[in-house]
Order: sequence, then C-alpha cells, then structure tokens
Amino acid sequence: MIEFLAEASALAFAPEVIFFACLGIFVGLTVGAIPGLSGDMAIAVLLPFVFVLEPTAALGLLVGIYKGSMFGGSISAITFGVPGTAGAAATVIDGYQAKLAGKPNRALHTALYSSLIGDTTSDLILIFLALPLALVALKFGPVEFFALYVVSLTLVAALTMGQVARGIAAAALGIMLAMIGRDPITGSQRLTFGMPELSGGIGLIPLLVGVFAVSEIMVQIGRLWASRRLAQTKTKEEAAEQPYDPSKDKMDWPTFRSTLGATMLGTGMGTFIGALPGAGASLAAFMSYGLAQRLSRRPQDFGKGSLEGVAAAEAGNSATAGATFIPLFAFGIPGSATAALFGAALIMMGITPGPTMMQSNMGIIYALFIILIYANLANLIISKVLLPVYSRLAMIQPRFVLPIVLGLAILGTYAAGNSVKDVWMLLAAGVLGVGLRWFSVPLGPLVLGFIVGPGLEESLRQALMLGRNDWTHLVTSPLALGIYLGTVALLIGFWLFTRSRRPDNRVPTKGGAA
Amino acid sequence: MSFRNIALASAFGAASLAIPSIAAADFPSDNPIRLVSPYGAGGAVDIAGRILSSVSGEFLDTRVDVVSLSGAGGQEAIEFVSSSEPDGYTLLITDYGPLVTTALREDVGYELEDWIPLVQITEVAPIFFARADSDYTSIEALIEAAQAAPDTISVGHGRHLSVPHLPLILLEAEADFSTIHLPTTGGSQALAFVLGGQVDIGASVPSTIQGGVDDGSLVALAVAAAERVTSMPDVPTLRELGYDVVLPAWYTIFAHRDVPEDRRAILEERILAALASEPALALGTRTGTDVQPLGAEASQTAYQTTIENLTAILDQIDE
Repeated sequence: MIEFLAEASALAFAPEVIFFACLGIFVGLTVGAIPGLSGDMAIAVLLPFVFVLEPTAALGLLVGIYKGSMFGGSISAITFGVPGTAGAAATVIDGYQAKLAGKPNRALHTALYSSLIGDTTSDLILIFLALPLALVALKFGPVEFFALYVVSLTLVAALTMGQVARGIAAAALGIMLAMIGRDPITGSQRLTFGMPELSGGIGLIPLLVGVFAVSEIMVQIGRLWASRRLAQTKTKEEAAEQPYDPSKDKMDWPTFRSTLGATMLGTGMGTFIGALPGAGASLAAFMSYGLAQRLSRRPQDFGKGSLEGVAAAEAGNSATAGATFIPLFAFGIPGSATAALFGAALIMMGITPGPTMMQSNMGIIYALFIILIYANLANLIISKVLLPVYSRLAMIQPRFVLPIVLGLAILGTYAAGNSVKDVWMLLAAGVLGVGLRWFSVPLGPLVLGFIVGPGLEESLRQALMLGRNDWTHLVTSPLALGIYLGTVALLIGFWLFTRSRRPDNRVPTKGGAA
Repeated sequence: MSFRNIALASAFGAASLAIPSIAAADFPSDNPIRLVSPYGAGGAVDIAGRILSSVSGEFLDTRVDVVSLSGAGGQEAIEFVSSSEPDGYTLLITDYGPLVTTALREDVGYELEDWIPLVQITEVAPIFFARADSDYTSIEALIEAAQAAPDTISVGHGRHLSVPHLPLILLEAEADFSTIHLPTTGGSQALAFVLGGQVDIGASVPSTIQGGVDDGSLVALAVAAAERVTSMPDVPTLRELGYDVVLPAWYTIFAHRDVPEDRRAILEERILAALASEPALALGTRTGTDVQPLGAEASQTAYQTTIENLTAILDQIDE
C-alpha cells in the first residue's frame, strides 16, 4: 500500500497537475458566480480534454472546476443575492441579508471556512469510509427517500417562525410548479396547457435565479424609481445606512467559533445526503439550514443575516462534494450529474467505476484522492485572495450593480439552455418572486418544494407500486419510521424550546440569551 | 438607390450564391460538427459520441463536439437538430427511445421519415439481472416463481417503455407471467435498488452492470439480443432459452432529411472510416463500447425494423 501512496503522490503533485487544478478552480469560481452557468456545464464542455491531457492532469482540472464552482455560486449568492448554482440557494437566504446588514466580509469568510471544513471532511470520508457509507445509502429505497423528502419539506416549511402556514403553502406551490411538464412515471405531459415550451417543465435555474435575484432586482428598481419620482428626501432606510466600514467587518476567532456548531451540523448532514444517489446539494443545504435553526441558540436570527445560517447552508452544500462519489466508487452508481460526468471521464481513461476499480487502478485513484484534498487548500488560498475584492464589490451602490447583475443573469440563463424560452421563464419567475415578497410568502420553502417535488412524487409512486397501493407500506421500513419519529421529536423539542422563551411566559430570562 | 449601389449589391448577391458551392468542396472542415444527444452527459450514448470525437480531427478535418440536451425527455435535442441549418454540421446521436418510441406515443413536431441514419455506432442488448444471493438467478426460476405468485416479484427497468422495459413486456407476453414493473429514473437507480434489495430483478444494459457482474455481486440472467454479449459470454440469450424476444437498441447518428445528399454521403464515409480506425476501436474496448459501425443502408434497415417492431409492441399493449 505504501508503494501506491508514493506513486499516487508523484502523480498528484506533478507541477502540471497542480497547474491544471488551480486553473480549474479559477474557471470554476468564475462559472459558478455567473447565474445560470454551473460547474457541471463547464465539466461537460471540457470533458474532451481527458483525451488530450495526462489522466491525473485532466482529473485535476475537473476537480478544480467542481470545487471552484461550488464556492463561486456562494460568492454570488452572498454578494448579489443571486444563487450562482442550485447548491447556493439556501445560502442566499441569510447570506444576502448579512451583506445588507453590512457584514459581507464576515459572511463570505464564514462561507469559505465552512465550505472548506465540509468539503474536506466529506473527502476524507470518501477515502476512508466509502464502502460502509455506501452500504447504508443502498438501504434507501423509495419508502426511505419519500420519508427524507417529506421531512426536508417539514423542516424548511417551518423555517420562518410564526409563518408555518405560509411556509407550507409555499412548499406546496413549489411542488405544483415542479409538476408542470412530464409525469415521471409514464412520461405523459401534464399542466402544459398545450404549450410545447412547457413540455420540458420549468428549469430549476431560471426559477431559482428569477425568484431570488430577478425579483429582488425588480423590487430595488421599483424603489429607486418610486423615490426618484416622489422627489422625496432619502427614505428612512437609506438615511440610516452607514457607508460600509470594512474595519468593522473583520472576521475574527469568536465569530468563527460561534458558527462552528452549525458547520459541523451541515458537514454531517451534507455528507450523508451526498452519499444518497439522487438527493442533491441543494437538498443537503436546505436540510442543514433547517436543522441548524432548530438546534441554534438564536433561531430568531435566521433569515435576517445569521452567520450560523450561512455556515450551515454552506457546509451542507460543500459536504456533498466528496460524498457524491461514494456510490460511484463503491458500486458504479452515479448519484448525481457531477458523479456521472466524473464517471464518464474515468471511463474515457479506461477505468470502470465500481467495485473492481480500486484493485486495478490504485495509483490513479489514490492520486485523485490526494488531489481532492489539496484542491480544497488551493481553493482556500485563491478565494482568500479574491474575497476582499468581492466584499468591496458587494457594497457598490445598487443602481450600478443591479443592471449588470440582471444582464448577467439573463445572459447566463440563456447560455445555459441555449433557448430564449428559459429567459422568459426567468422573467416570469421574477414577477412571481415579486408577488411572493408582496404577500410575505417565504421563498426558501418554495424553492425546496420545487427541487424536491419530482423526487417526492416519484418515490411515493414507486413505494405505492411496490406496496401494491397499500399506504401503510410507507411506514413499514424501520429506517423510514426512524426518520419520521426523529423529525417529530425534533419539532416538538423545538416548539417547547421556543415556548419557554416567549416574553409573555413568566419565566425569568437568564442573562445573555445567546 | 443609385445604379452603382445596385450593381454592387448584385455583385455581392451573386458572389454569395457562389460561396456555398465553394464551401461544399471543403465540407466538413469549415465548422465544428455538433453531435447532439438527448441523454445526459456521461451516459453510454454520450460516450459513444465521444469515441468519434476523439478521432475526428484526422478523419473529418474538424472537431466533433458532443452536446447534451436532455430536456423534455430528449425532445429538446431532437427539436434543436431539426430547427438547425440543414448543412450537415448539426447531427443527432441517439437510441430509439426519444426518437421513435415518443413519436409513436404522442404528437411530436417531426415525422419518423424526417431522420436519415448515417452510421450506426454500436448495438446494446437489454439485459436482466439480479443480486447474486437472489432466489431468482435464472430466467426459468424467475418465470416459475412469477407464475406461481403473479404480481409479487418486482422488476426495476428504467423509464416507462424504455430500452430495457420493452423486452420485459414482450417476455411476459410470451411466457405468460406478470411482475410488478417499477419505473426508475434510469439504469443506475435500477442497479441501486437491486443491490439494496428494494426490487428483486433489474433490467438495464450491460455497461451499467459490468462492474457488479465482474466482482460477483450481481448475476446476469439473460440478454434480449440475437447474440451473446462479448463481455459476458456466459449469459444466454432469451432466444437460446426458448423465448423469441430480440430487441436490441442501436446508437446511431442521424441527419435531418433536409441535409443535402452529397453531404450525407461524405459524412457517412468519413465517420465509418473514423470508427473503423485503430484508435477508435481501442477506445471502444477501453470504455466497454462494442464499436461495430454500420453504414447508411444497413442502419436504415435497422431503423425501419425497429419502427415496425415498436409499432407492433405498442399496439399490443395499447399505448
């Protein structure tokens, strides 16, 4: 085994490989930050390089793009409120609010550090615990997946305290939007109203970027226009806004330590969900976020710029990075689009992903593991250099930034699907987002409902087919039961906890609520 | 407009008419060729396309880019190619699912005659498999058990009416048994469910289960093809076992019928040469793709046969 490590290190630390890994990170950061484009697209486009480059160099490039794009999406989410990638959807909720509250630098650094911790832990688990975790993941069939999706929706719908009903309504609306297109079981069209443009359903990226970013931009434009038209003095908010003071927004050890718990939570949740074939990074991010709120000492801060919220979402998102390869390496099952792409790259190199892969290709696989780890480090260094730039960018006045971001969102969405139809969906989703904001309907549950909808429906119908239309089949699995009961316990615990802290209770408040 | 302007405009007009014919002499070296696939990047069709693109420089004098447009059940890819310029630079690579099955089941924006096969790259055989410790490690055992207890044994088969699903339907009709058909998002989910014990049997293509078969965790029951699969020589065909179920899936490159015939002929010739080359065959072996290229005529026959077979099957099951 030691000889393999030596061989693997020689392969992994070759200057060419390091160069391509760093190049990949740059490309990934850029692509991830542009709304509409994703790391997967860049990887798919650059896949032919596998033929041209040395295998390890090609893997380095692809790994770099993968890691870079994950963080790039988060940069955009925090800086501009635009989720650059689907995985950054949960980061927008608190990340953007944090920037509005004047702490973009701390938010970005929190995101970076928790991403790093999540990603590295996930990679280590891939390296050392892939098979055991893969075997657990195999236990997830339709019944268990259904339980997972139901639980994720419950956690997230109840995110906004005091607005649970709206959260559930938003989630239901999201699920309904996801049903437009084709039936996942029979493939027949539904809810398309005869429009062929809708036969493919609504794209996730147009919806995500539209509902979060375009609606925000529309609202901001509306405000600017209204204040100019009414020729009033600055609104109260604008008057109270201090110019951004970077010295008050430094990342320090106590801040970092306060987010560590949320990071750990996100790491655990993200690694687990990443290992489940089919569940994605955004699901992991949302579940980590929801769970972190339940277990936080300051749940009321979530949604208003809580750094814990950012940390949980980011760790959850990034911890899927290594874990997503677990089913691929253990059984040859690609559990995500990224895993499928890497699987293709390996196949093109003559390596068949799966149980026989390790024995026949130890050198290159261990080299890949080493690259996964040091790419995180490279990402840290490169991002740390870029972050102050982004923090400054974040604080440029909206009226300069908004048109550019809107333009990029439209361009990116168009480029992603190569169709104008996606741009129309983007704008329609923007209008929807404005409506939702007007009625104070939370956006997070809507997006999660949309993301989880297809899997929810498919797993339910598969479970019923297997159980021959017997609904009790859904609770026959001990694993599913465990998931349901665990969540109920968590929700009850949370409810009791918030009750005990309500001001109208005659409970003497202990000093220092945090 | 002045006389001079009219003269200039006419000159340009005449010259531009001449350009396409000059360009034809260089076809296909002007632009990269786009091979559009209705499946996601990383899948078997995608990889077959990439085999061609790896040798394209030498044989086609231009790049071949594989573009994945998997939206709308693959219809997006087909629509994209039909609405592109029919200049031979945008081609479709697919198996029969999105192209034929969907067209026979619903209203699509094209006719099956609109597509002319240029080259068939390979043929894949639908294959049935089970976990090694399963009670059903042979087709006979499966059929016997299913006849004794109808609609209890579950089979995970990819999407509804997909390449692995149709042979299952045919087999059940022929051998008179019935099972629970469980649609899955694809071969990978079918594999995951079989390994995890969620379903009893799986139906997919050999590349999905090769790893599992090689390391002994899976056992392949039979293939629905005319001949045994080279990488799994011990697995019998359904025909050998007495059931006439042969429904392989081809991966073929199509051009729209509006592409001029001379360009189609050039493409056929060059692509055949490319796929018959040493590097392409070596890459095929390396990636587990059995590259056996067929020219336009033979591909057309295969295409027609598939259309007839599918029409018959779909009529039978009332879809």
